[in-house]
Amino acid sequence: MALTADRFEQIKRFEKDLSQCMKCGFCTFWCPVYQEERIEASVARGKNMMIRGLLAGELDYTQEYADRLNKCTLCMTCTANCPAKANIPNVIVAARADAVKARGLNFPYNIVYRWLLPRRRLFGWVVRFASWFQGVFMPKTEGTIRHLSMFLSALGKGRNIPQIAPRFLRQMVPVVNVPPASVKTRMRVGYFSGCMTDFVLPHLGKHIIDFLTRNGVEVVVPREQGCCGAPVFLGAGDFEAGRKMADANVKAFEGLDYVISDCATCTSALKDYAKFLADTPQRKKAYEKFAKKVKDISEFLIDVLDLPASAYKPSAVAKGKKVSWHDPCHLSRHLGITSQPRQVIKSISGVEYVEMPNADRCCGMAGAFSMHYYDLSKEIGDKKAASIKSTGADIVVSSCPGCEIQLIDSLLRNKVPVKVMHIMELLE
Amino acid sequence: MEKKLRAQLEKIVGKGVVLTSKEDLTTYSYDGTATWAHMPEVVVLPTTAEQVSQILKLANDNKIPVTPRGAGTNVSGGSIPIKGGIVLCATRMNKILDINKTNLTATVEPGVVLQDFNLALAKQGLFYPPDPQSFLGCTIGGTVAENAGGPYCVKYGVTKQYVLGLEVVLASGYIMKLGGVTVKNRTGYELAMLFTGSEGTLGVITKITLKLIPMPQASKTMMAVFDDMVVGGQAVSNILASGVVPAKIEFVDNFILRRIEEMMPMGLPVDAQALLLIMADGSPAAVEVEAKQIVDTLKKSGAREVKVAKDAAEAAKYWKMRSAGFAATFGAAKTVLAEDVAVPRDKLAEFIGKLGEISERTGFFISHLGHAGDGNLHPAIFTDVSDKENFAKAQEAMEEIFEAALSLGGVLSGEHGIGLEKQRFLKRAMDPVALNLMIKIKSLLDPNHILNPGKIWEEERV
Repeated sequence: MALTADRFEQIKRFEKDLSQCMKCGFCTFWCPVYQEERIEASVARGKNMMIRGLLAGELDYTQEYADRLNKCTLCMTCTANCPAKANIPNVIVAARADAVKARGLNFPYNIVYRWLLPRRRLFGWVVRFASWFQGVFMPKTEGTIRHLSMFLSALGKGRNIPQIAPRFLRQMVPVVNVPPASVKTRMRVGYFSGCMTDFVLPHLGKHIIDFLTRNGVEVVVPREQGCCGAPVFLGAGDFEAGRKMADANVKAFEGLDYVISDCATCTSALKDYAKFLADTPQRKKAYEKFAKKVKDISEFLIDVLDLPASAYKPSAVAKGKKVSWHDPCHLSRHLGITSQPRQVIKSISGVEYVEMPNADRCCGMAGAFSMHYYDLSKEIGDKKAASIKSTGADIVVSSCPGCEIQLIDSLLRNKVPVKVMHIMELLE
Repeated sequence: MEKKLRAQLEKIVGKGVVLTSKEDLTTYSYDGTATWAHMPEVVVLPTTAEQVSQILKLANDNKIPVTPRGAGTNVSGGSIPIKGGIVLCATRMNKILDINKTNLTATVEPGVVLQDFNLALAKQGLFYPPDPQSFLGCTIGGTVAENAGGPYCVKYGVTKQYVLGLEVVLASGYIMKLGGVTVKNRTGYELAMLFTGSEGTLGVITKITLKLIPMPQASKTMMAVFDDMVVGGQAVSNILASGVVPAKIEFVDNFILRRIEEMMPMGLPVDAQALLLIMADGSPAAVEVEAKQIVDTLKKSGAREVKVAKDAAEAAKYWKMRSAGFAATFGAAKTVLAEDVAVPRDKLAEFIGKLGEISERTGFFISHLGHAGDGNLHPAIFTDVSDKENFAKAQEAMEEIFEAALSLGGVLSGEHGIGLEKQRFLKRAMDPVALNLMIKIKSLLDPNHILNPGKIWEEERV
């Protein structure tokens, strides 16, 4: 019995969620995966019942079991609409963790997650190495969009994504970025540059740092920070590697009052350390303290910085344009941040805001999900593209580079000529 | 055998839509009931009536049980593959084939989700009233097979009042057309009604033509507070007797009310013994007159307080409260036995009084939630299936509830169907000759008893 308890150590922590599901099946209406597949294993109710089956000894750690657990974007729409408020995504992440603990990770994920991602500099070199092949073997598509490098294309199956930047963010900015001499320093914050901003969109990171410093914020970019761990502990269920990454990030931002992130997934992953990875009272305390410091960029601008209207000037590309906002799941349902980004956009002079239908519907990216199930991811993305198209917007913005990749890919595939940008790129 | 069956089914529907892994089969072993479960041997997801026909032919030739189902949201055990065999899942037959605004009809495939249908109709100002509270998940095929109802049925009637035509695949594989697209149709027996409410035991529904009505232009929601449940029950009868038929009359008791207030604080009167939620709908002028009459009747009937929602947002809040009742009930204990009896509408107060007596006698707390306007209550008893003694006693108490409903001229099930859940009681609730006739009809249409076997009546009768 003790052995069994240990075997399902993580699932047992979420036993309340596991047992709260009363099998009403209302989640079928909301689940983006079920809406495409229309089979029971797609949806929270089915996944939860499989996990109950595992606990009862009726199912085992098979390839089929792993496959069905992986087929969830963790978008949380089921939970948001659950009459019983059962958080099945919690149970799914926990079940992934117990499976990894019992069975380990398969190649190449064991190498990538356990060894490569925690080593930020080395990971950077691998990405750089991969980028040399980009464009050599793959045809150029449109504008700056190319088929991904050899390294990632093996996983990405030909998805249209932005190319690897020639210089990474850490090579472009110093550790400490101070406001210009003419501006009074109001506060000092840490900047968490997720992998995407660091390697693919360094200009975005630079732009955010410049905006903040111009508005009196000293921005520290600790070199010791690494990947947030989302693909590792949330996606793959590798809690052991996740803890190493969490500890490194917590340490890197010690002594700073705020940790600002421009990526919804990173923001929510950083805040989720306490929920999933705290295996000791010390870690729990440290992770909870850290979570309080983490702020999404829009949340920081609106709730903390409280800038004057004059600070919201449009960038050259945004001036006079119609703009729509896509809610990343990790921002809207995971963190409840929905009003702040809209307020940012509406505050920018000369920019017209238009709300898209189902703005908070999952775009279908969900990290490794889109690599494992690209066809499914595309179908979910097509619905988002149709929503965006219906607004007649010139630009769609979000606050999650992962979503942005998916939006670019979905809009290109559906031939919808709407520009995809990060919300901060609307600002001068 | 299993491999062969899989190959044969794949030949009919193609690869990828025949599920045989233990993981997938697990997810088709349950429905919305608390305790029923049984694994199928294979799950198949056809997309055309022709495929359904071939599947049934194959099953009939080999005497393999077939359990037809939609989204598995039913609460009767109806979609549990209690004999194993094939689960025939219609969720991929989900096209709305036609919405005819002039003829006021729609034709759909069985796997269309009710809420998707409602949204499509709303765009054209049309309305399909039957509203089982599983509307977010349930398929229209399922609602026809179960003859489902919901709050709106006080005024607008249940599913059977809207079914004009059906396409049904018989156990032999024959694709049969019944009824049509006209509101009136006196061509022979009403065979479409035989399949409506047949719980998947007579054929597989593959196409449905439904009657629609224009969306009511206006509505008004009222909430009445009572210090006594029986008085609340009497108020329902009084409203109906006063010459008004509201769109909905829903009943919430003190226990559920407090649970809801805990789950989502909205300032409900937590000391009230009963709440009635009432909606009047129709043209704006009629709604004004009816609402006034309802408020007067409620006050005369002893309501402590009557609130009229001042706008759509307040009304939506009340109805959201009512829909949370389901979670409030089912989340209240490890096992919840929630029933579905219906009594004549003038016997509601008497029935509520009897429930109080049963509760006192058996020691089980009974919660009341339901569609009071059509006499359809969902009395719930809280127990734990793993506590054998308690569970057995809870079932005995539930039997007393059935007896009480039947003794008042009521029925076993208002809207959920018999399935597995209520078949033990069927003999007591039906004329024996009628019950026998039902089984004879089954044998005539499905001589090998392959279609949803083991449902509605107890097996030894066959």
